[in-house]
Amino acid sequence: MTAAAAVAPRGIVRIRPRLRRREAMLLLIVCAVLGVGGLSLGMTTTDTVTVAGWQLLVIYGGALVAVHLAQSLAGRRTDQVLLPTVGLLGGIGLLLMIRLPQDLVAQDLGSLHLGLAQLQTVWLCLGLAVVGVLAVAVRSDAWLRMYKYTWALAGLTLLVLTFVFGIDEGGARLTLVVGPFSGQPSELLKVILVIFLAGYLAEYRPLLATERTVIGPIRLPPLPYLVPMLAMVALGMGVVIVQRDLGAALLFYIVFLVLLYIATGRTAWVGLGIALGAVASVALYLAFPHVRERVSVWLDPFADPLGAGFQIVQALHAFARGGLFGVGLGAGLPEIAGNLPIPAVHTDFPLAAIGEEMGLAAVLGILALYLVVLERGLRIAAAAADPFRALLAAGLALVVGAQALVIAAGDLRLMPLTGITLPFVSYGGSSILANSLVVGLLLAISDRGIEAPAPPRTRGPVMRALRRGRG
Amino acid sequence: MSGRDPGMGRSLTRTMLVAILAVALVGVGATWWQVVDASRLTTSPDDAANVAAARTVVRGVIRDRDGRVLAASKRDANGEPYRVYPTDAMTAVIGYASRRYGSAGIERAFDAELTGRRDPDPIQDILDHLDPSRTKKGNDLRTSLSLPLQKLAVQLLGNDAGAVVLLDPRTGEVLVDASTPTYDPNQIADPTADPAYFAALRKDPTSPLLPRATLGLYTPGSVFKIVTAVAALASGAITPKTTFPKQPRSEKSGLLVDGYRVKDGHHDFTQPKALALSEATEVSCNIFYALAGLATGGADLVRWAAAMGFGGSIPYDLPTEVSQVTSGKGSAPGGFVDRVELANAAYGQGEVLATPLQMALVAAAVANDGVIMRPRVVTAVVSPSGAVTPRPAEVWVRAFGPDVAKPIREAMTLAVEGRYGELFTSGAKVPGVLTAGKSGTAEIGGNGEPNSWFIGFAPADDPQIAIAVVVEHGGSGATRASPIAGQLMRAYFAQAAQ
Repeated sequence: MTAAAAVAPRGIVRIRPRLRRREAMLLLIVCAVLGVGGLSLGMTTTDTVTVAGWQLLVIYGGALVAVHLAQSLAGRRTDQVLLPTVGLLGGIGLLLMIRLPQDLVAQDLGSLHLGLAQLQTVWLCLGLAVVGVLAVAVRSDAWLRMYKYTWALAGLTLLVLTFVFGIDEGGARLTLVVGPFSGQPSELLKVILVIFLAGYLAEYRPLLATERTVIGPIRLPPLPYLVPMLAMVALGMGVVIVQRDLGAALLFYIVFLVLLYIATGRTAWVGLGIALGAVASVALYLAFPHVRERVSVWLDPFADPLGAGFQIVQALHAFARGGLFGVGLGAGLPEIAGNLPIPAVHTDFPLAAIGEEMGLAAVLGILALYLVVLERGLRIAAAAADPFRALLAAGLALVVGAQALVIAAGDLRLMPLTGITLPFVSYGGSSILANSLVVGLLLAISDRGIEAPAPPRTRGPVMRALRRGRG
Repeated sequence: MSGRDPGMGRSLTRTMLVAILAVALVGVGATWWQVVDASRLTTSPDDAANVAAARTVVRGVIRDRDGRVLAASKRDANGEPYRVYPTDAMTAVIGYASRRYGSAGIERAFDAELTGRRDPDPIQDILDHLDPSRTKKGNDLRTSLSLPLQKLAVQLLGNDAGAVVLLDPRTGEVLVDASTPTYDPNQIADPTADPAYFAALRKDPTSPLLPRATLGLYTPGSVFKIVTAVAALASGAITPKTTFPKQPRSEKSGLLVDGYRVKDGHHDFTQPKALALSEATEVSCNIFYALAGLATGGADLVRWAAAMGFGGSIPYDLPTEVSQVTSGKGSAPGGFVDRVELANAAYGQGEVLATPLQMALVAAAVANDGVIMRPRVVTAVVSPSGAVTPRPAEVWVRAFGPDVAKPIREAMTLAVEGRYGELFTSGAKVPGVLTAGKSGTAEIGGNGEPNSWFIGFAPADDPQIAIAVVVEHGGSGATRASPIAGQLMRAYFAQAAQ
């Protein structure tokens, strides 16, 4: 029935290289922007005509080109705008890491001493490798589609592991340490959540759009709506209570509600979801002092500018110093006694540093780049072969877009600050790898050559029984 | 089911529209901070760029009215300057400037001048900005403060929390702006000091970091009667001769206002005579003032109080808290809840709240024929080259006329010098100088001792100084505040005589 099935005969693997002209052009622009940025930074910091951290920029640019070439040689017909877009975001982040004091984060691997920018380059290259492998190698989505409950279980296990073995950092239990590796599981959790939700909503979509649960005189949305809705609220509250991670909880909930809307087109249920979320938020606010503190700092950070409000006040000052076009790369962020005014500038507040040194223009530009990521994802969704892929694509794009908006709004004091990263820009392995996973999957499902979806499975016995029961 | 799903296309389009809206909203937020509200933040002394720049600048010296140093700079082991303060009596007004904790007080309000970020000479200021290579040196500040008087004020307040404001009503120059408990600014400014000190100050339940003279709000009690007298006379509700027949009749059992009993009990010795303004002020008659307030009405009481600064911030050199006659929640004229609140407010209870600075200005207004000079601490900015830019005296408001001021001056003189008056203001009298004043015993609810108040001026016939004293839980006005005011005024005239 589908065109794709007819084109690709099984059993014969043909590799036909294909020119990806648009991606090549856009990547050229990205490399030029990064080169100019490095030059500007080098000239500001050394007073000579040098490109700051040129080795790292060359490695990163090379990795971008490598992913481009791999897709071209493999003849993939994947989206050509996504890679340059996130490439530019990652590159701006890398420039920022080159510009910041290198000892903010440092790691020794044997005799090798790696500073902030070098580590970020490693993470970005690993991330691009993930993107490349997924874009080239994934030819079927069955492994995502078939095992949604397995994925859900994996996600829950991750959450439990974090609760049991996680270590507290900065008031939040976000970090899981396994042997020599450490990471933030909520980053991976968000990808798993999207995979599960896409599978679940795709399967129960027809039911969701038509049915009702009737208990006596009360007419409620159908059970397949209610159960995951309550489970999501519980998951969100669990993340806040267990991990003290307000940002991840909010992100999960936003993605869930938007996917629910896309799947069903029913605004009333989204409204109900928002109401439930609001009730849960109030309950959390009343029950947990750390939630209350976040809110009071947001309402009036200037009440305690040296204590709780310190970072956000300093971030607002940084934005203000930047003005329209910024003070110039490398010319901002004054150090006071060797300390940066914003200690978490590389993780929670990269936008403030960008706003100061490159101005409002760059902040708006960065926001526009995330809008492009969202647009590409929703476009892939609209062109997808079936509801599962559509929901998966939309969900993946949303995870990146919503996360960027939540942290940007927090940095700008439009809402309480939540300690999540600015995707691709912030420093951090977990964040970069998880978001690369997102981009890799998006590219894979955007490929018109990907294997056709399997016929829908029959519904589970429980739901069948429920449906019969109500006639 | 294959190919594109018609139902989802519409949802996807709408999702994109919502996303564009959300991004636009965040963009508006960024524009707010980076363009619209940017200059407020970038000129603040808390801005990291200014703090960093200030580290290398040697801040100017702050001096008192006789040239005594109140704040100076030293260099640490790295050659970076830091602040030293010869006394901790001045911290309420001078504040501190610290690399770690920012700044407070005059150090904060005049940060731009002290660090040379702003030149008092406008032409020089433009030249400085055109040529950033010019070496920046901080300007010195000359103040009207008197170190010995301020030290005495702090010493007299002793272990009590409280505040004193002493100023020259003719010029607005503030000589004393004291607040207790004090703290040691050196332990904040010295880069080698223990950070635990500042952390403890921030948590201290007695709020030593609060400059009580300007930011402390207190129920004024009877010292507020002066405001009521101004409003009653200025609005024409009473004349200096007006008496209320109800007043002597109510002395025993209290004045019944809509079911609420205004009690007096202070002056059995004056009844059954009906009192006029002077005698009523001398014996601090609550019932007279409650009746005068009711005759004036809420709207006029609030209006004339506002003329003296109530309900707005005072254009002082430091931030001030807003004093109030009523919280304004009611629907009766002036924002009072009912006549009971108005009657109580007329003698300084009810919802009346005032800063010591505000009450000092009330005394100054009466002393200076109704004209309030803008209160100020910094009298001149002295550039590194020695050029002096004075900050001259200026009229802030003409609150009321001399015809109103004169009878109140006489009443306040009687309240200190009179036969009964001295019982209420014992210790306030300056020997050899005609002294005017009014004490207050402000009930603050609960079981605590009332706050002890005194406001006044001297000499009563040619005022040179006006004063406000409040001692938290100090008991009656005569117990603590009046003697403190008396001793300070005595010290002032002793000094002036030398």
